[in-house]
Amino acid sequence: MSSFGVTSTGWIKYADLKANGWGEIIGCINPQSWAAVGIGLSIGLSVVGAAWGILLTGASLVGASVKAPRIRSKNLISIIFCEAVAIYGVIMSIILISKYGSGGDDDVLECNSITTEMYFAGYGIFWSGVTVGLSNLACGVCVGATGSGCALAHAQQESMFVKMLIVEIFGSALGLFGVIVGIIMSTDAAFP
Amino acid sequence: MIPVLLAFTCSKTASFFGFAGVAAAMVFANIGAAYGTAKSGVGIASMGTLKPELVMKNIIPVVMAGVLGIYGLIVSVIITQNVSKSEYSAYDGYAHLTAGLCCGLSGLAAGLAIGIVGDAGVRAVGQNENLFVGLILILIFAEALGLYGLIVALILSQASESCEKA
Repeated sequence: MSSFGVTSTGWIKYADLKANGWGEIIGCINPQSWAAVGIGLSIGLSVVGAAWGILLTGASLVGASVKAPRIRSKNLISIIFCEAVAIYGVIMSIILISKYGSGGDDDVLECNSITTEMYFAGYGIFWSGVTVGLSNLACGVCVGATGSGCALAHAQQESMFVKMLIVEIFGSALGLFGVIVGIIMSTDAAFP
Repeated sequence: MIPVLLAFTCSKTASFFGFAGVAAAMVFANIGAAYGTAKSGVGIASMGTLKPELVMKNIIPVVMAGVLGIYGLIVSVIITQNVSKSEYSAYDGYAHLTAGLCCGLSGLAAGLAIGIVGDAGVRAVGQNENLFVGLILILIFAEALGLYGLIVALILSQASESCEKA
């Protein structure tokens, strides 16, 4: 009975590592575990980005509303822009879960029997999740900081709201770029 | 024709590095673009309360920061087309990782520069409109840094070495 990275005769032979290069150290971790971590990161980091953005915008919004209550309803749009970042993460993680596949054999695979397709799938899903998660993290913080500035400017100058919304839309596009790249990366990556 | 001595077998795990390059290009470029957008955006918000008529002109730093994200998108898509399940050598993997890092980290650096210059610049333009041309010149130099990274990444992404299937 063998388990991750450990053959039936003991730990991975040093001679095998020397022959195949240090890339095999990465290769002996089950690709499906890489994929699982990627799925977790895609939703987790996206939600962190959305939350960070909401906290930045929300605090400024309620603070500015004390002296300028008219801004309260319109500037909720900034909060919605941040929420959309979390939605991108949910969509991406659902797509990646559909590629995750079912469990394998009862015997856990040995290094040498993992196929190139399985490696491709595992790494593709992992890096797709990392891309989407970190892009949405950056996007959420950006939209949050800009939304905070928007609320404070809108409280003082009525015409500033629409102009700052243009800046927020530029920020929102960054999360979309991440989702596009994530989808393209994971198109071919499916576990058999 | 590859001499027999130089031919090597395809590595099964090389796609780890290839996809890492795709991720690096997109993520770091996005972080730079996000910093540039947010920092300049806050400057525009601050300046716009006193001079709202100048805001549309001063959105240029935000647009230039957004372009860095597009550079990252371009390089990511190009590298993804080249990462394949079959006949993907370790050489290809390392080349694509480097291409992604080149574009991504250059975009990050350019985004930092555009953000800080844009923030200070739009506030200064709000007080003295003659400074606008100078601000644009500085932003163009900062944007060129991201462009250099894009060029090198595009050259690297074409690097390829064929391998024999094991």
